Amino acid sequence: MSENGSTELAESENKKEERMSTKHLTRREFIRGAALTGAGLVVAACAPAPTPPPPQVVKETVVVAGTPQIVEKIITPTPVPTAVPTKAAVKDKIVVGMSRPLSGPLAQIGDSAFKPIYETWVKEVNDAGGIQVKELNKKLPIELKVYDDKSDVGTMTRLTEKLIVEDKVDFLWPGCGTSFIFAQAPIANKYGYVLVTAEGGATSIKDMLPSLPYVFVTLSFSDWYQLPVFADLMAEKGAKTAFIAYIADLHGIEYSGVAGIEFPKKGINILGVKSLPPDIKDLSPVIKEAKASNADIFCCFAYPDQIMPATGTSMELGYNPKAWLGGPGVNFGFYATTFGPAIEGVMGFTTFSAKQSATAKALADKLYTGKPRELQDWWGHPLYWAGLEMWKQAIEKAGTLNQEKIRDVLTKEHFNTVLGDTWFVNGLLAKESHTGEIGQWQKDQFEVVGPKNKATAALVYPKPAWPTK
Amino acid sequence: MIQVLDVVIAGLLLGGLYALIAMGLSLQYGVARVLNVSHGEFIMLGGMTTWMLYSGFHINPLLAVAICGPGAFLLGFILHRTMFKRLLALSASPGIFESNSMLASFGLLFIIQNIAFMIWGPEIRGYSYLAFPVDLGGALFGANRLVTLGFAIAIGLAFYTFLARTRMGKAIRAAAQDPVTAGLLGVDINLVLALCFGFGAAMASIAGVLISISYPVNATMGLEYTIIAIIVVVLGGLGSIPGSFIGGFVLGIVGSIVTSIEPGLALVAYYVIFMLLLLVKPTGILGR
Repeated sequence: MSENGSTELAESENKKEERMSTKHLTRREFIRGAALTGAGLVVAACAPAPTPPPPQVVKETVVVAGTPQIVEKIITPTPVPTAVPTKAAVKDKIVVGMSRPLSGPLAQIGDSAFKPIYETWVKEVNDAGGIQVKELNKKLPIELKVYDDKSDVGTMTRLTEKLIVEDKVDFLWPGCGTSFIFAQAPIANKYGYVLVTAEGGATSIKDMLPSLPYVFVTLSFSDWYQLPVFADLMAEKGAKTAFIAYIADLHGIEYSGVAGIEFPKKGINILGVKSLPPDIKDLSPVIKEAKASNADIFCCFAYPDQIMPATGTSMELGYNPKAWLGGPGVNFGFYATTFGPAIEGVMGFTTFSAKQSATAKALADKLYTGKPRELQDWWGHPLYWAGLEMWKQAIEKAGTLNQEKIRDVLTKEHFNTVLGDTWFVNGLLAKESHTGEIGQWQKDQFEVVGPKNKATAALVYPKPAWPTK
Repeated sequence: MIQVLDVVIAGLLLGGLYALIAMGLSLQYGVARVLNVSHGEFIMLGGMTTWMLYSGFHINPLLAVAICGPGAFLLGFILHRTMFKRLLALSASPGIFESNSMLASFGLLFIIQNIAFMIWGPEIRGYSYLAFPVDLGGALFGANRLVTLGFAIAIGLAFYTFLARTRMGKAIRAAAQDPVTAGLLGVDINLVLALCFGFGAAMASIAGVLISISYPVNATMGLEYTIIAIIVVVLGGLGSIPGSFIGGFVLGIVGSIVTSIEPGLALVAYYVIFMLLLLVKPTGILGR
């Protein structure tokens, strides 16, 4: 049947070719073709003029402090003289570019972490008229240009370069995740774009920050200053042993590495360390091993995809260590909506509680009132909000959109933000500006329990056992 | 001894889910000849719908089986009667249909996933149901996982009985072996193929319901389960429903053993089995 079909098809193709080869072009067809070509040329002529070539990065030898050094400079081609007003003269908005995980596995973090912050914050700033830029003598609203990197680091780096080189956005806002900011920071720095990061720790990038003067990290992370505070809390309660499960990526490696340094300092022995692949389905062998170790503390340094089943499996297997710490994941509202009151005593990373101050309460009300509880993030949200406030205040203090001048303000000045007095130290948000490091679920609230001078509740240790029914 | 029991039962618990997922894909690929890359999206739909029903309307997840299963069957049946039937009519040979239908199912994957994104967003979703330990000969297991295993086995056996004992089951088996001859002997091939696609979608959706009882779910979870299903289908033998059932349990137990030694090697172990099988017995465990 198929043979017949293919023979018929071949015959019909031959006939078509014969018809085409013997057919002559009529006058009407010629005129129609010429008219279409002409119309095409008119449309092409009406298209916008080609954009000028992108800025080129050239290496130049300069003398800094008596020493010749090679630096990279961005050379923008000289614009062609024109009678129309220049871009600066008609500047009516600040365009901010972002490469974000709108889809893919990281979308679940991006959507509940930085996204609700920048959406709320930009609306609030624009409703107030925008950001005052002194040299232009006016307020400019913010316009966001957001691309989807599909949770892929390679795509994010390409999109970041596109935003800078092709789209020529005025400012760059950050990608999502530790490995993403690790890859994005050198690009922003190369092109001289200020980058105030959001989601993502920086243990690995911390030592590089002196050579990345345009990069500013807002989020607290493992040794800045979460795990030292956690180790202090545990040692004070008499914890002696720990079992660690960590996701096999930069985030997990950073946290487990820092725990390996900080825990022994406080006399806490690590009885077992287990890496988790991102696609792990059944965590019961790991939880059973942790249970068999009888360690006082269980730490799961992973993402919600692993934290949620680790919690569920701990409940199912009746695994009740004296302290159960996990993150990121425990700090989100969806953790509470998923497990309900069963999470009493579970610990995670945090920054603030609405109880801490009127400012903190105002921020919590602004971000969370009337919205699904799943979107709450007690760790990152205030830090991202503060980062945006610092960025805005730096532009206003500098009075210009010049990245270098804004960078200098961010480096040297103190800012009044939702966290209070806030500033950067060597590219990291000063730990004195953090309003909390370790949180614990107590009576359906994620309380700050460490450091003790910023705590909103006393640490409950040992953690209550999971419910048995 | 307890440790061995622990690993084996944990493998059976995971294997039950794999078996259910793979049986669905086996029906779709083995009989309907559609390598349905969007199979995992039906799992996701089952899981997300169950979460929505449980958290929004307090409907018992086990009751959701009765809602998601028929719903997914209907969706699969309609999809085959419209899209895949048309593709079949337009394809010159079975080979061309297989490649066309696979490409179409890729499109289906993106459409379903994006609709799910629009409805539920990308956030991870979950709920706590029967999350307490049960002691089995000294080894502890979550009650929810045991219920999941019970359901997976019951549904698998019920479907096997349907195939082995009923007239429609016989027609499906005939269509799997030789669709042209089955058609000549009076089997309504288009109806049988659509039924198979529908049953496959229903099984995926029911697996999604059971997965949501024990694991968190989100709109992007589908593809990883599709990959597992493809491995199990090849492991069990293309088109063999009992093969997929057995293959699911084999993969679950292997995964459990490897995870107990080194969790990072579980997926590697799956692929090693896959490659070894292709080298040693390319037709699969029960394939011909």
